[in-house]
Amino acid sequence: MSAFIGGKNLGLTIVLGVVAVLIALPFIGDNYLVRLATFLCLFSALALGWNFIGGYAGYPSFATAAFYGLGAYVGALLQNAGTPMPLAWLGAGLGCAIFAAALGPTLLRLKGHYFAVGSIAIVEIMRLLASIFADFTGGGMGLNVPILRGGPDFAGMVFLYAMLAVAAAAFLTTLAVDRGRLGFGLRCIQQNEDAANMLGVDVNAYKTAAFVLSAIFCGLAGAIYASWVAYIDPTDVFSILLTLKVPVMVLLGGAGGAYGPLVGVVAFMAMEELIWSNFLELHHGVLGVIIVILVFFLPGGLLKLRWPQILGRFRAGGDAKSEAKAAAE
Amino acid sequence: MDVQTLLNGLVLGGLYACIAVGFSLVWGVLNIINMLHGSFIILGAYLAFFAHAAFGAHPFLSLPFIAAALFGLGYVIQRGVINRVVSSPVLITLVLTFGLDMILYNAMVLGFSATPRRLALDMGRIDILGATLPLDRIAAMALAVALTAMLFQVLRGSRIGRAIVAVRMDRDAAALMGVRVPQIYAITFGIGACMAGAAGSLMSVVFPFSPAMTGLFLGKAFIVCVIGGLGSVPGALVGGLALGLIESMAGALIGPQEAVLAGFVVMLALLIFKPTGLLGKAGYE
Amino acid sequence: MQLRLRKHWSRLACAAAVVGAMGAGAPQALADVIKIGAPLALTGGLADEGKKQKIAYDMWLERVNAAGGIKVGDTMMPVELVVYDYQTDGKRAGQLTEKLITSDKVNFITAPFGSGHTKIAAGVAERYGVPIMASVASSESVYDQGFQNLFGTLAPNTGLTDNMLKLFKAKMPDTKTVAVLGREDVFPNAMAKALVEGAPNFGYSVVYDQRYSVGTLDHSATLSAIKAANADWIYVTGYTQDLILLRKQMADLGLTAKIVTMITGPAYKEFVDALGPLADGVNSASWWHHATTYQSSDVFGSTKAFYDAFVAREGSDPDYVHASSAAALVALQAAIENAGSIDPDKVRAALRDVSITTFYGPIDFGANGMNGGRDLPIIQVQDGTVVVLFPEAIKQAELKAF
Repeated sequence: MSAFIGGKNLGLTIVLGVVAVLIALPFIGDNYLVRLATFLCLFSALALGWNFIGGYAGYPSFATAAFYGLGAYVGALLQNAGTPMPLAWLGAGLGCAIFAAALGPTLLRLKGHYFAVGSIAIVEIMRLLASIFADFTGGGMGLNVPILRGGPDFAGMVFLYAMLAVAAAAFLTTLAVDRGRLGFGLRCIQQNEDAANMLGVDVNAYKTAAFVLSAIFCGLAGAIYASWVAYIDPTDVFSILLTLKVPVMVLLGGAGGAYGPLVGVVAFMAMEELIWSNFLELHHGVLGVIIVILVFFLPGGLLKLRWPQILGRFRAGGDAKSEAKAAAE
Repeated sequence: MDVQTLLNGLVLGGLYACIAVGFSLVWGVLNIINMLHGSFIILGAYLAFFAHAAFGAHPFLSLPFIAAALFGLGYVIQRGVINRVVSSPVLITLVLTFGLDMILYNAMVLGFSATPRRLALDMGRIDILGATLPLDRIAAMALAVALTAMLFQVLRGSRIGRAIVAVRMDRDAAALMGVRVPQIYAITFGIGACMAGAAGSLMSVVFPFSPAMTGLFLGKAFIVCVIGGLGSVPGALVGGLALGLIESMAGALIGPQEAVLAGFVVMLALLIFKPTGLLGKAGYE
Repeated sequence: MQLRLRKHWSRLACAAAVVGAMGAGAPQALADVIKIGAPLALTGGLADEGKKQKIAYDMWLERVNAAGGIKVGDTMMPVELVVYDYQTDGKRAGQLTEKLITSDKVNFITAPFGSGHTKIAAGVAERYGVPIMASVASSESVYDQGFQNLFGTLAPNTGLTDNMLKLFKAKMPDTKTVAVLGREDVFPNAMAKALVEGAPNFGYSVVYDQRYSVGTLDHSATLSAIKAANADWIYVTGYTQDLILLRKQMADLGLTAKIVTMITGPAYKEFVDALGPLADGVNSASWWHHATTYQSSDVFGSTKAFYDAFVAREGSDPDYVHASSAAALVALQAAIENAGSIDPDKVRAALRDVSITTFYGPIDFGANGMNGGRDLPIIQVQDGTVVVLFPEAIKQAELKAF
């Protein structure tokens, strides 16, 4: 579906432009804007991470918050044990990868609703474990992480760049997967898993690979989040709301490509900010109405809209002219 | 095992069954995970609360009216909204009902406020075999089981019930046989909401409630469904009782946090090793 | 269809434009107004509590501005309160604190409800060196991070439990065992731990000690286990909804003891309202009760004046959340007046030196920023009303057996 405006190069140009703006942001914008941008990168990383398993492989995963929370806890615990911050983040990514690789082969045997429920159960189980092993994790009292020294401007910049790096890595990985064997195999699985299996696609290995990729980026984002806010607790990081929100974002943009999740994250966050500031007591309901409308009118996501036609109408004032033109040619 | 633990678990399990049966039916027949279910239960509890405050109606008496009102609400939501995307992938219908749930939740917070409410109808307690049990809970549990049995009879005995079962087994074949599938979907969803409303009015005498609790009831419904097997009414009953016993035993033997954990672990284990649940039959997925 | 889509498109574009404008159009702080930022939970799980804080802030604000503002050096500066709803979402609490500081350029911040969210907001305020007044955070774990800008009006938890242990042992010397059940959450857990640690010092032995997780629907198994432990004293912590359920289920199972404590159930009107007769006999500690009789030179004048003004305004009794929230701003006002400046460094130093008696009681921040200990009230529900058992000076009734 590369009906996206002018094709892939335009998409890549826009992404690069946005990245350039984000890099410049700490020098031109205020810290609140930097914080919003950090959240934008955080959710981009989560959405792109989810997209491997949810978009390409078509497995309705709700395990996002499990990886995110695990990453946050592993990172925080490593940092508290004296590991330098960047190494703690990498350790968290690695830990999540191992976790997903161990869990994947069993969990991914489930299909459809069963997989959805199984993955959501993982989030709840992780939350309870973090709460029960209080001696180790701080339990419900939460876990403090050393605050990064150097003042708010410096900290804002560090965490924005770190999140941006994770989001960019997730994006580049997506591009590589999209064009490579793995992406092809995952699309086959999404279309028809049994057929893919018979055609010689090693479905278990492919699915697990997607699950692990998903876990790495969510885990890295979680670890950076923990260092950023300097305090985490089980209900905050193993959040059911987060685990539901990320797929909604991806669906909004369009699942199973490199650009859809990004478009979805930007659109969702813009809507959220707009609704939040304009509908004080109604924001939940208004967001709900918008989700319902989206499901009806944008089932394939924003990117599946036929943008050239819509834009053409804006420019030319209607189909009549373009049709006449087509006829003349 | 201790009699008190066993009876606690059975009574709690009866309530869980009632919470889950409507959710299970909708899931089994429509293939939809209805994220609205928890809010339907809380709405039922609020209606019972206000019926009691305004007319002095006992929740067990206002129950049929509340159940009927929720049936209407469920029917309209399915007919007007969900039916349009009913055959979309899991994720789409789940996101849709999630969006609808946000609307209903917001409406309840505005209408009823976030303050926890409780219907003060303490009916006392009785001693059975050395164990102490509250009468309101026993009555609610008995009614819950009776309602579940009634639903089972309706599904088995009535024309509509047979049509619902037929659609659940094979939608296309049922359509060929002249079953109006969209109509059956709407009725099924209505029954799901109706059972949630009934459960809510029963819960209102047992638990304090607030809009923030919708997720809690939804979570229990999930576990019960998976343990018992999707879409089957006896499955919901067995799943509910099993979850009640698991939580009660783990709570008595280990601790309160581990009790909640045990429910999820058993559910995950069943998903992996016996995805059709304790009573479910293969092929209804 | 096309029309609809176009509408969508324009709406989204509009959303993007607004978001873009939000940073750029940040209003400049006026030099002659003191801005106080308040991230509050006005919706979501803590909405009731957040609204209480807002009422208290508004009451203080009306009085201060009616008097022309706060005296800073030789000028009177009016006060503006900038309120945002963080929807009981920790991430958003941090985000809005940063927005208040950087976009709205507030001079001071008030913390959200509860120890957990206070920690998040205080972390942001600390980065910017903006003093933050915490009115509803009492867990020492919030204050032991070395934050220089955090000041809390509630006293440490241990003060609550030690007074309680001492009083109950004196009044009922034959009580020897205590069963402790707490919610696995910052404040309730801290309160449970404080009691477990303090109990042996006063001759109590702990016969049951467990935590329940956030979102527990049923407690019958736990309460049956407590019943089997047969303790003289049952001590439970949690938030109002948990405690209502726990008390109801205790009655269901016929579980009783000589003393039943629910922290901080009876301190909240909602607890007594929802439980009715079942609330009778339940005791708790609290940080404040309107029966106290402090005279003060703040905008309220005395405990009674605050109480009367509150009842006239809201038609119900204030609880400690209201009082502590108003007191946090009273303390901030005193510090600004003493500093003669709104410079954060000077006000921070002045806050350290604050030692005043307010309508709420004495306020004197310790080295970690927490209000010093004092004799905190122990209350009990007796015949449907909340009465004070301790301290002696304001005692309204004797401890009754449950």
